[in-house]
Parts: sequence; structure tokens; C-alpha cells
Amino acid sequence: MCTRNMGMIQLRLISIIAFLKIACLSLVVVAAPKVSPEEFTLVGPESTQQLVVTQDTANGLIDLTHNAKYRSKNEAVAVVNERGIVRPVGEGITEVQVSSSTGTKLIQVRVQHFVDPQPISFRRDIQPILTKAACNSGGCHGKADGQNGFKLSLFGFDDESDFAAVVKASRGRRINVAAPEVSLFLLKATGELPHGGGRKIENGGLWYARILRWLREGAMLDEPNELVTTRIEIFPTTASIRHDSGQQLQVFAIDSDGTKRCVTLEAEFISNATDIAEVDSNGLVQVSTVPGEAAILARYRGQVSVARMRLPQTEDVRRPMLTNPIDTLVWDRFSLLGIQPSELVDDGDFLRRVYLDLIGTLPTVEEAREFLSDRSLDKREKLIDNLLSRPEYADFWAMKWADILRVDRERIQSNGTIAMTRWLRSQFANNRPYDEFVTDVITASGSTVSESPAAFYVVHNDAEKLARSVSQAFLGVRIECAQCHHHPFEKWGQQDYFAFAGFFTGVKQKKMGAQAQKIGDGPGQDLTHPRTLQKVPTAGLGAAPIMVGEDLSRRAALAQWMTQPENPFLARMLINRLWAHYFGRGLADPVDDMRSTNPASNEPLLNMLAERFVEEGFDVKKITKFILTSRVYQLSVEVNQSNELDEQNFSHARWKAMPAEVLLDAISQATGVNESFNGWPDGYRAIQIWDNRMPNYFFRIFGKPQRVSVCECERGTEPSIAQALHLMNAPETMTKLRSRQGAVRRLVESNLSEADIVDELYLSTLSRFPVAEERELMVSVFEEPASNRQTAVEDILWTLINTREFVFNH
Amino acid sequence: MFKLSFSKQGQFCDKISRRNVLTLGATSLLGGLSLPGMLQMQAVAATAKPARAKSCIFLMLEGGPSHIDMWDLKPNAPREIRGPFSPISTSVPGTQISEILPMCSKIADRFTILRSHSHADNAHQTGRHWVMTGYKPNFPDGQAKGIPFNEHYPSIGSMVSRELGHRGAVPPYIEVPEPLGPGGPGFYGPKYAPFTIETDPVEPTFLVRDLNVVEGIDENRFERRRILLKRANALGAGGRGVGRAKTMDTYYEKALEMVTSPAARRAFNIQGEKQAVRERYGMTSIGQCSLLARRLVEAGSRFIGVSHGSWDTHSDNFTGHRKALVPPTDQAFSALIEDLDQRGMLDETLVVMMGEMGRTPRINKDAGRDHWSMCQSVILAGGGIKRGAVIGASDDTASYPTTTPYGVQDLLFTILDLMGIDPNKVYPDSLGRPVPLVTGGQRIDELIA
Repeated sequence: MCTRNMGMIQLRLISIIAFLKIACLSLVVVAAPKVSPEEFTLVGPESTQQLVVTQDTANGLIDLTHNAKYRSKNEAVAVVNERGIVRPVGEGITEVQVSSSTGTKLIQVRVQHFVDPQPISFRRDIQPILTKAACNSGGCHGKADGQNGFKLSLFGFDDESDFAAVVKASRGRRINVAAPEVSLFLLKATGELPHGGGRKIENGGLWYARILRWLREGAMLDEPNELVTTRIEIFPTTASIRHDSGQQLQVFAIDSDGTKRCVTLEAEFISNATDIAEVDSNGLVQVSTVPGEAAILARYRGQVSVARMRLPQTEDVRRPMLTNPIDTLVWDRFSLLGIQPSELVDDGDFLRRVYLDLIGTLPTVEEAREFLSDRSLDKREKLIDNLLSRPEYADFWAMKWADILRVDRERIQSNGTIAMTRWLRSQFANNRPYDEFVTDVITASGSTVSESPAAFYVVHNDAEKLARSVSQAFLGVRIECAQCHHHPFEKWGQQDYFAFAGFFTGVKQKKMGAQAQKIGDGPGQDLTHPRTLQKVPTAGLGAAPIMVGEDLSRRAALAQWMTQPENPFLARMLINRLWAHYFGRGLADPVDDMRSTNPASNEPLLNMLAERFVEEGFDVKKITKFILTSRVYQLSVEVNQSNELDEQNFSHARWKAMPAEVLLDAISQATGVNESFNGWPDGYRAIQIWDNRMPNYFFRIFGKPQRVSVCECERGTEPSIAQALHLMNAPETMTKLRSRQGAVRRLVESNLSEADIVDELYLSTLSRFPVAEERELMVSVFEEPASNRQTAVEDILWTLINTREFVFNH
Repeated sequence: MFKLSFSKQGQFCDKISRRNVLTLGATSLLGGLSLPGMLQMQAVAATAKPARAKSCIFLMLEGGPSHIDMWDLKPNAPREIRGPFSPISTSVPGTQISEILPMCSKIADRFTILRSHSHADNAHQTGRHWVMTGYKPNFPDGQAKGIPFNEHYPSIGSMVSRELGHRGAVPPYIEVPEPLGPGGPGFYGPKYAPFTIETDPVEPTFLVRDLNVVEGIDENRFERRRILLKRANALGAGGRGVGRAKTMDTYYEKALEMVTSPAARRAFNIQGEKQAVRERYGMTSIGQCSLLARRLVEAGSRFIGVSHGSWDTHSDNFTGHRKALVPPTDQAFSALIEDLDQRGMLDETLVVMMGEMGRTPRINKDAGRDHWSMCQSVILAGGGIKRGAVIGASDDTASYPTTTPYGVQDLLFTILDLMGIDPNKVYPDSLGRPVPLVTGGQRIDELIA
């Protein structure tokens, strides 16, 4: 009920807006509207066809579907509603007249098998209804335990069990073949009997008619391979939509017998960027005022297809001199979308950003002074080179990868944790090529306490866990979804899942004393598909089955497949991970959910970077430098009117949450007092602490991950009240401010002027000099009657540590 | 600009989500749906989930209290089962509880005993995980060492915090006097984590972490700092503050409100409570935590988790219950209910007291009782719960329910439902999989007034 009402409101609104637009545009427009399809056949009494009406204008194609006028020439054959949906009424041929202010089109409609339809197929005709009405969704009957005794397979991946649930379970109480109209199945779905999910199917509507006919025909299950939908097509596949306007989509199913039929009303639609464009259940896309591009996924019977809806602004974008190929592709995007990017970031903010991003460490006052006073033109590039060779680079990236690889003391004890952390640190210190790094992880063997990634196989101690983690962490494919059901947004099914898990069936673990295991390889075997009970040949995702033999372990075969230059996943995933790290959001987002139905916001850029990374021998530092020397990385966080809503095109830098460890180190460095970690020697920095289970309030509230998942999303990045309270009032911070060895005391006891002290404090926290007004504001603190030099410096440093410029990496 | 929210349509089981009603309300004024029609839609949504309870106080008796010695006595059972305690009459004719609960017996007309709670996890950590999140954990007992240890699934407190949000100057979800273990936000993230008060309000030096301005910083100096920070932020980067920085600004405002607002300070300042009231609750951990909980409810907190241990009486069960465990609990619980009632707050404050399990009916060789999750008594009061009822019954030895057994999901379902939250609401986890607040489970209608 709700959906329909909202649909009507929305349509009214769209027509008003579209009407106004047409009224303005009609002066220049001459061409007649285009209608898709130009002719069609409706087979059977419950079929429909959604028409899509478009108009070429000086400003590109616009959608007229919801403000065109429709008329059927013979309402005894077919009728058409104001949304352009044609429905059969009787056998025969007629025409639908489509008129807009620019002209009229006649569309031929043929209706067949209206009186002698084919029997209803449960698989083809009923299941999509249960999916579209969300009966089998994860919140309703598709839950693992079903809902109120009625259990369907999630998204309807299992026709047999769903048929049994509807027809046979609970002694067949849900259907009544003798009196189909009073079947519980229908009465609940239409809300005539109390139903927790409310009214899902309209009484007397097409879906109702189809279910009723199926019941009348005896509620049978058709043979599995009779009517397979081989693919779906979406129209239009791309469109450029103006603000506050819309685009009607059309979805066709192509069945194994070659028929092509409209399934727009039965397909499901999902937008990957709802802040830019939303899509309703009838396939009507509506855009907001946020510029960018949304991928609209259509799904029907396990098949998926994507339409890309672009929402440009009208702004003319200035194009600066661009030398880095990254920038060329990024500015192409800005031009296409009419987004004017932010200005270049100034030196101080750049310095702070690149330190925090690359080495997880604040610049010292001396480092800041040196960089700020350097007059050479290539100083930013030199700084990047310098930071890439710092030991903190290895510490910081080892920490990041220890999160991803789940280096968890609780699972691999201290010795295993240290072994993996050391190994990771040396990989980044030595800039190990990424393909070799991956090969080492995939084929790790030997003792878990010697410097190696072998303990990864203790953290993940069975083939399926390994498959899920490796696929997500290195390939960006969340194959986990396909363990129990077909991946809802992708081509992956259980076959692919068990084929991939087969790579890890040979892993052997042998206990060697209290804290050590030895990892090795046995022959392994192909796994069994849980529903078909057939053996699934081991294979890479979307790849041919592999041959394993005496001289090649299963894991070695996997490493070969993953690291060959043609592998479609590995390089793209790493690039996306790096990009997300430096820009606060992946080119594809979320960072480790890369799929054709969730395209990158700049596919050419992702492809170019991935190709270049492979060509340059998987050199992580080299590609990192390439990214950081781009202009787009060096944009400011300060937004303008044109780009303030942009989230996906990197037209301004983002306010990134500092990892808990980095923020704690920054506070320690700014106050000049090391954090003391219980049981650790003095001077250890938080980014060096390998013990992920060390109890620490600061780490907990700032979201340090417990390493229970390979997903980077486990690290909390959202702010909270507890964080604000802690930054303001933590006694630990107060102690640091007041410490005799700290920065405050040093400045108080120095003979620096008040203005110089303020400069020092800005440099140590924000890595920049204060502007005149800031200096004036802070110097005035010294003049407060209630202040003395000590309390004034404490208060200024306290203030700076609490500014958003300090708390965030920007 | 107009914006309709369709993409979530059909993903939820409930008919009209609140958000959609609100969005619809905004657009319908443009689109032509009449105002009365819109109000009617709002009314439908409002009456679909009426909130009986605005807040919930959850007293977690960690380790597992002995139901057969407290709430569900079996005086006719054999000696090795019934134990030494006698039943006594209560203010509800026909309802008897243990003699070690004299104070609760006098107010039994204000709470309800659910004697048929039952679940199948007989271990502490895993059982507590199930009770607090509604999901069975996938780790073996004794292996969770982190705090919180509900790594994936959010706790009931985080769910309430997410759905109901702030209602005053204090955080919506608070744990006292220590983290509940599985009380964390799971995949919801730190934003919905409890504000944990890791000191005990019974201590004379009780201070809430980070709430009180540090020693040496008086109000004037704090105020100077506050103004200085505001000015420094205004001059620095991000004046237009987008994204997280903007969110952080609002949290700073809330945090400042907590530090500076008299309401919040008063709520936490348990030392300011009348001594007689403090003593009525008992100068014990659970007593003062319960009193603090009441004060936090007054200040607008939504969910207060109180942990109290240790009820794991494998030996000397009877001495333990009679001396150390039950008296402070008897006093605290009865004081809490009486106090809430007197203040007219009980009807909108749900109080739940339970452990992760009950204890074995058969007494072991150490005069102890072991773990027993198959039968437990849960005590509930206020917030739409019947007064003075006994729901469900167990068999002759308090081993298994003889009436419909109610599981963890039923209980959580009921709590959320009473708080006006749809237990079927779904959020995608980190893999994008839909996770309902509660999977399975039904409202325990017998409990509802």
C-alpha cells in the first residue's frame, strides 16, 4: 500500500517537473519521441510491457515516460496505464499511441496465448514474485529459521525447497487446490489474514492472477532445466539525468528458448549510491542534487545487469596543467560531471597529510620548519621519497596488513603474532613486490613462530575460511555470500565457492610444542557441492579448473593463478585498497566489494593504475609515489559550492579518521611525553604494538580492530561522544600536559616569546604556522588575569589537540 | 530538492517504516496527498509500534543466579535438590519466593517472575553472548578475551541506542560498573558502543571517566578552554566542515553538554543523592549501580546495563546466596522498583534482572550448584510488564519448563517491542548481509500488561 501511494506521489511530481522542462525545451526540439520497444508481443494473460519514452534534445536525451500520453487503439486487446505499462486483455493485435508535446508514435502490440496460455512455471513465474515481494528476503521468510514457521530459501535460490515449503510443508496447509482463492498462501500475501509482513500482493492484480492460475493448475513444480533465464538486459544502460528528474528503466529476460520478455515489474532494483540516485521498485530512477554516477543493479532469477545513471552539473570546469596521467582521468570525470574541484592544499596541510598517510606519524616541529622553509619546486616529491624510506613506513603498513591478515594474539599466541608482524615489517621495509608478497602468504609453510606468514593458516584453520578471507582480502570478492546461496549481486554461486575452497584442502598443520605449529601441504581433494553432491573441480574465480600434481601443491597453483598479470582481481584490489587509504574512500566502495555491479566511480582510472602496477612489477612504493604526486591527492579539504556534495569523485580531500594508534602517538608526540604501555619498554609507539589484545581504553573507543575479520571496515572510523569526552578530559592527557619532561614545561621554561611559543605549538600539532589572527588569539591567553605561563601553554596545547584539524587527517 | 526513499522498501517486514512516513509526509505536501491523509499514515506507523518503555535497566547477574533457591523453590523435592531455603509468602496471594528475598517479597505485586526461560547454552561466555545479542556465538566458551567480545553481533543495548538515540544530556547506552562482556556494538561500530563507567558508584571516590573536568581545571578555566577551542576551530580548516569532521563537531557539543550541563552532572553525581535513599538501595555495588541507573533514566539514558557478579556458585552455593549475593540484590532490586514506582517512572521504565543461566537443581558434592541453562527465572518489571504475575512454571525439580519455554530471542524480542522498536528491522553487516535485530523469537504476550 505504502509503495503504491508513494509511487503515485512521485509520478505526479515527476510529471510536473518534466512538463515544465518540456515546456521550456519545446521551442528548440523538433524530433518525435523515441519509444522502446517499437513493437512487441505479450504472451499469456499475466504478462506486461513497460514502455520507455525518450526525447533527443539539445541537452541530451531526456526521459518522457511519465509525462507522455498513452492510448490503446483497441482496449479489448491491450490496455495501457499512465506509467506506460501495457497489459493484455484479449487475443489479437492492436496499437498503442504514445504522444508527447513533440509528436506521436504508434507501437504495435500483439497478444498471444491469452486464452490458451502455457501452464504457470513455479520456477519462472512464481519464484520471481516471492523475491520481488521480499517474501524470501533475509528479514522475512528467507531468514535461516524462516518466519513464523514458513521458511523460504534466501532470494529464492532453491526452487525445490521453496516449492516444498509452499505446497507440502505443514501438511499442505498453505494451499488449497480445491478452492485456490482461500489458500492461506494467497490470503496472507494479500493481507486478508493477519500477516506480519503486511500486504505484499494486491488482490486481483497480475501477480495474484498468476498465483491463482498456478494453484488452479494444480500447484505443480516444473522440471529444473525447462525454462532457464540465461541473461537479462536493462535499457537504457547509461543515461545522463538532470537534477530533480528521473529515468524509467526497462528490464528484459532472455530465456533459454530464445524468448525475450519484459520483466520490469518482476525485477528488483538496487542503487549503489543512494545519495545520488534512488530507484523505486518499478524501475523508476530519481536523482538528487549530488553530482556523480550511480550504478543501478537489476536482478531477476539470479541474473544481474547494471545501468549507469549519471547526474552532471552544468558547471564549466577549469582544467589546470596536468602532467600526471591520474589527473587526466580524474579531470575528465570532473568535466563530465561539471564538478569544480578544490584548490591545491597548502604546504603545512600537505605535510601533515602525507606524514599521517604514509608513515602514521606526525611531523616534528623541526621537520615542519624545514619543509615549510624549503623553496625548491620539487619539495613535495622529495618528501614523499624520504617518507617511503622511513622505518615508520614499515611499522605503519605492517600494522595495517596485520589487521587485514588477522594477526591476532588470541588465535596464534604471542610467538605467532610476533613472527607475522616481523615478517610484515620486513616486507614493507624492503618493498617486496606485491606478487611475491601474495605468493608468500598463499604458499606459506614451515614453523608459525619463525618470521613468516605461516600463522595465517592457524588463524584460518579450514579450507572454507581460507577461501573466504583470501578472496575478500586479495581479490575483493566477497565469495562468502555464495557459501549458502547464490551471491545476490554477482555471478558467483556455490559452485564457484567450493571450487575456490578446493585450493586449501591440502593444508596440513602439525603441532610443535606449546606455541608453534608447522604448516605444510598434503594432496588435498576437490570439495563436494552441498546440494548437488557432485565433486566441484578446484578453480580460480571464473577460471578453468586447475591441474595439480606431484610438483605443484594446490596452494602453489592458486598463487600462480592469482599473480599472473592477466588475473582480473589482484592488482585492482590492491590499487583500490591503496586509493581508499590515501583518499578515504576506494575508487570502488566498499573497498573490498569489487564487482561488475558495483563499478568504480572512475573505471578508466582504476584500470590504468592496475595495469601500470602490473607492468612495473607490482612495485608498491613506486605506484604509491605515482598516486601521491598526483594533483588530485594534493587537493584541499576546503570545498566550494560546486563540489561540496561530491562524495565519489575525489574533487576535494576528505576528513579521514586517524587510526586509534596514530592519534595516540600524535598526542604523545605533541605533548612530548611517551605513552607507557603496560609491560612494554618505554619509547614504543602505538603503531609498533603487535599485541592486538592489549587492554587499552583509548584503542577501544577509537576503534582499533580486534582482527576478527579481513575487512578493513572492522576498524571503527565513526566519531563518538566517548571520544570527544576522552580528548577533552582524559586525566592521561592532562598528565602529559603537566609532565616535567613534556613539551609544555620545556616551552614554559624556555626564553621564547609568547608568539614564538604559539608558533611552536601550532607546528607540533597542526604542522603549520598560525595565521595572524590565530597567533593573536593564542597570545591573548597569556594575558588572561587568571593565567600564568604554565597554564596558558597547557590551555593552548589542550585546545590545539582538540581542534578538528588535529583530530582528523585532512 | 525532493527525495524519496524507495531502495529500502520491501527489505523490511514491517508495513511502514518510520522514515518512510516522515519522507512521505514531506513530499505529500507537494504531491497532493491531503494533510489528513498524511496524519493518518503517521498514526498507523505510530500505533503499529507503541513504546511502552522509554528506557530499560538491565541487571545482569553474571555467573548465573540459582533460580531454585530464589524465585522458583521446590519445597517438596528431595533433599539433594530442594536446598535449605524455605518459601515465604509475598504481597501477591499464592505467589511464594525464597526466604532469602524478604524485601522483594513485600513488593512482589509490582514485578513479574518468568519461570519458564530456557536456552541451550550452558557456558558463561557463549551463554552471555547469546543472552545479550540474541545470536549464538561461533567461538567456543572461554576463548573470548577481548572486551567487548561480541565481535560481530550488536548487543541489545547497542540496538536500543541505535534505534532510540539521545533523549537528554547523558549517553543513550551506559554500562556500569564494568563492561558487560558482550555489551559492545558488534558490526554497528563504536558509534553505538556503550559509554562505560569503569568505576563503581559505591566507592566514595566514584568519578565518571572523562566526565569530570580534571583536577586543577576549575569551571572558569574549562569555560575559557571551551571558548578558545570554539574560536580556534572557527579560524582553522574546515569551517564548512563536511563529513566526519562535522559529526565530530556535534559530538563535541554533546560531550560539552555532558560536562557542563547541570542535568548530566547531577545524574552522575550519586554523592548528591540523599543518604537515606542511598542506604535504601544499599551501600553495595549493585545497590549503588541500580540507584545510578535510576538517575540516568531520569536524565534520559535509554539502556543501562548493570553487571553484578559473581554468581557462579559451584561450591558453597547456599552460603554464597544467603550471605554475599542475594541480600544486596534483594535490597537493590526492591529499592529500584519501589523508587521508580514512587516517582511515577516505573510504567515507562523496563527493568530486567537475569543471569546467563540458572543453576543445576541437583546439589553437587561441594554443596554447590553447577550451570543450568535449561531453566531460569527472569524478573521483569515496569515498561508495560504485568504487575505481580508469575508466568510459566517448571517441573518438580525446576529442571525444565512445563509450560511454553521462552528462549533468548523471545525475551529480546519482547524488550525491543516494549520499547517501540521493530525487532525484525534489518541492517546489513560488514559483508552486506541483512541481519535482523532479532532472528526468530516472538513477543511473550503473557508478560504484557
